Amino acid sequence: MFNKRIAKAMVAVAVASTTAISFANAEQVPITGTVQSRCIIQTDTAGTYGNPNAYTLTTAAQDGGDAAVVRYDVSLADAYYAEITPPTAFSSAPNLPDQVTWAGSVSVKTVSDATGMGTYEADKLEVGDTDRYDLTATGSTWFAIESTATMGGNKAFAGGTYTAVAEAVCIAK
Amino acid sequence: MLLPGYSYSESIAPYYGSTGNAVTDQSLTWSMPDVLPEPPGLDIDTVIYNYTIRKETEDSVDVYVGNENAAGTGYIFREHDQWRPGSLDGTEINKVIGIGGIHRDQWGDGFIDVEGNGSVEDPRVIYTYRVDPCYNPQFDPNCPGYVTPVPDIPEVNLDDLYNALEDENVDLERKTEIAQEQNEENLDENEKKKKEEEEEQKRRYRLEKMMSASDAAALFAESQMIKQMNEIANMQANVNGYYSKSIPGGVYRDSVQLADTQLPDNRRGLRNNLAQQKLHQQMIDEQYK
Repeated sequence: MFNKRIAKAMVAVAVASTTAISFANAEQVPITGTVQSRCIIQTDTAGTYGNPNAYTLTTAAQDGGDAAVVRYDVSLADAYYAEITPPTAFSSAPNLPDQVTWAGSVSVKTVSDATGMGTYEADKLEVGDTDRYDLTATGSTWFAIESTATMGGNKAFAGGTYTAVAEAVCIAK
Repeated sequence: MLLPGYSYSESIAPYYGSTGNAVTDQSLTWSMPDVLPEPPGLDIDTVIYNYTIRKETEDSVDVYVGNENAAGTGYIFREHDQWRPGSLDGTEINKVIGIGGIHRDQWGDGFIDVEGNGSVEDPRVIYTYRVDPCYNPQFDPNCPGYVTPVPDIPEVNLDDLYNALEDENVDLERKTEIAQEQNEENLDENEKKKKEEEEEQKRRYRLEKMMSASDAAALFAESQMIKQMNEIANMQANVNGYYSKSIPGGVYRDSVQLADTQLPDNRRGLRNNLAQQKLHQQMIDEQYK
């Protein structure tokens, strides 16, 4: 009776020792979290191109076009830059007979805080085709994006639908 | 957690809405009763305004948008937009001001004040609101707190009421006598009328009976006359039958032959004759009695 008990105990110890030696390992424990962006971008108005002559497409209102408007909602002051780049190519278009010359501009259209955002336009920084705004105040800012595409050699745009995409990003400081 | 609540019918459920543009002219002021709808239980939740600033880039312009406090001094809200040098002409501002439900009675006149060398263009001010139809519980019997209306009964001082007993121009005893006399006269007249009506009914009854008897006699006479006329007509018909008969000519020989040699008297005729004779004799005898 006594011997049987000892034998069971020894077996148990042996098994435990074997396990400790052969399964030594590292475990990776995930920790996840979600950060809600404090800078939200949404399209307020999709732009449209007018066609004042055969070789020009423009969003200018006097030429029958509409500027695109993009809205930035910032809930954390002085933490983000808004970088907006007007289109530099068509994302979809009929065959182009020649090179297209692009021109564009971005401007502050509407603000929700005159005191904090009134100088956004005056203080913006132009880097190449991109305009950078320092979003120093909380609230909403609407930016108007103008775009003009001119066909090289004064050649006519072929009939069809032309689509171009402006890029608006929010960059944390 | 249980919250007190009421089950609203559709007609008394709170509803939401928004006004049109409160700014209707260049004065940049407006009266809230002209802007808000009628219902009394109206609370304003938010104010949305936008405008375009007109200024030189180097200028500084201050714009104030707000509503005066009608229930006291100061403002319900007053937003201050500081357009500093560097802000560009033509920039729009779009603001949403959360108010949190302030009753309409507290909203005084609205305004947009511009200070500095600049102006605002295309101003728009819109109020969003919530209406509680049961703000006045008497609006609908389904409203919480509704009290069934009780008619307003005016209190009257009994001493001020006219009392005929105290009127020296009124002689109630005389009036009572007159009333009794009138009542007696009325009773007599009613009884007389009743008797007359009964007499009239009797007269009518007798007349009807008499007329019915005469009608029966006339009917009987008429039937008799018809009967006689029928008999005459029948007699004529019977005679007419003989007119058509013809008697053939020739000699008609007497063919009577008496077989018996003695003809007995008719006893029945004798009796009758004797009876007649007896009656005749009695009549004659009567003359000599």
